[in-house]
Amino acid sequence: MPSPPAWLGHSWLAPQYLGWLGQGLLLTAWLALLVCVLGTLLGIVLTALADSQHKAPRYVAQLFLTAHRNTPLMVQLLLWYFGMPSLLPESALMWLNAPHALALPFGLQLPWPSFEFLAALLALSCYGASFIAGELAAGLNAVPRGQREAAKALGLTALQAFRWVILPQALVIVRRPLLGQYTGIIKNTSLTMAIGVAELSYRSRQVESQTLLTFQAFAVATVLYLALILLWQLAGRSREPAWRGAR
Amino acid sequence: MKFSIALAIAALATSLPALADRLDDIQKAGVLRVAAFDSNPPFGFLDGKTRQISGLDVDVAQAIAKKIGVKLELVPTNPANRIPLLVAGKADLVAANFTVTDERRKQVDFSLPYFASGQQFIARKGILKTPEQLAGLRVGVDKGTTQEIHLREKYPQTTLVAYDDTPLAFTALRNGNVQAISQDGSKLVALLAQAPDKQKYELAPFTLTREYQAIGVPKGETRLVSLVNDTLKELEKSGSAKTIYERWFGPDTKQPLPRDFKIGDQS
Repeated sequence: MPSPPAWLGHSWLAPQYLGWLGQGLLLTAWLALLVCVLGTLLGIVLTALADSQHKAPRYVAQLFLTAHRNTPLMVQLLLWYFGMPSLLPESALMWLNAPHALALPFGLQLPWPSFEFLAALLALSCYGASFIAGELAAGLNAVPRGQREAAKALGLTALQAFRWVILPQALVIVRRPLLGQYTGIIKNTSLTMAIGVAELSYRSRQVESQTLLTFQAFAVATVLYLALILLWQLAGRSREPAWRGAR
Repeated sequence: MKFSIALAIAALATSLPALADRLDDIQKAGVLRVAAFDSNPPFGFLDGKTRQISGLDVDVAQAIAKKIGVKLELVPTNPANRIPLLVAGKADLVAANFTVTDERRKQVDFSLPYFASGQQFIARKGILKTPEQLAGLRVGVDKGTTQEIHLREKYPQTTLVAYDDTPLAFTALRNGNVQAISQDGSKLVALLAQAPDKQKYELAPFTLTREYQAIGVPKGETRLVSLVNDTLKELEKSGSAKTIYERWFGPDTKQPLPRDFKIGDQS
């Protein structure tokens, strides 16, 4: 392979550093996947609460949504990682930071994730859920009111009507906007480098400071992000006809 | 480009016959101009009470001015300006926690080192006594520092967590997210001094790397270099060097750091 020009620092990234970036990519993908799942579940709960007949759950949901939507994600990350632990007693902190393993059946063990990872997962999921809840609420509102009344007339309880009549229709409507939210979640994982999660952005900065090949380090990270997100969107789109058919 | 111009100037200056050198100029002017930090305690900082720049570096500069028998004039500087000030002739000496490196030796001359620092650690009391114990620990570092790179290369068994700056790394240590943090020793003691719960932590009793700080002198000013060296040696011999050190890093100061380096230990 020919040596790159001077403005590229006369050197390509050594395989070792591509390996670092690859590890970062895996962690980014894993974190984003967990956040999408957790954020969606939490988003559904929030939507149900906001849609409640009673005042108290509606207020709780509104408070959560307002707090998470209207503050920067970076501040929330710093609050979860640096701020919250200072409120906990020392014994709880020691336990959280010590390595644990969750025993699974068949003698398997699930290693306890680092506190950085947990804080990132929590902060990103809460933040993501507050926007996902917004999309879901919009989807629910788009389902004609008559559907709910018809379900009631058929003798379904409010919960049954939500689970079996309203939610499936709303999910079809919110597919596209949800995909957009998930893309946002993948990109937002890059902020977790501030709390020491060794994801792709963190790794690219590490490669940069070690090799001083500034352009290469960040360019490779950009390409990897792009590939991950395009792949994700392709996977989401390809299943669309089947979903559309369900309507 | 800038670098090669500086080199050319330096080469030109040394090739000229020494009709009158910098030491003569200083004596004639009656003033020694020394570049010092104005915001890097305790090396050089603006003292809130006296409104003067003071610190360890300033005390050393004062001793040199006294030796020559002239008045001391301080030129405030930041790290990036130290070499340009010397090369452009705006300062006669640099006394600003100036670390000796081979790269810098190409542009300026250095006196004997009068201060030594190195990569050290703060850990919860009793956890870290030897470098071998680093394996298996989670250690907080500053992103992109020489400390991060050194640990990653020499201690692959250590889990590194890199933060944006030293105070954030220290917060992570106080939260228990990491068991130790690593930075320049003199920086760590100053940080530890401010912590409300400092009795829980300690400076680990070893230094991984060694860096030496010396007075920067314009290239080729041999008489000035030997005068500075003589002054430094006298300071050590008379015990003044120790007195100066204790004033800024002694047991009663905000950042106690035992003195493990004497002038003359390293040339």
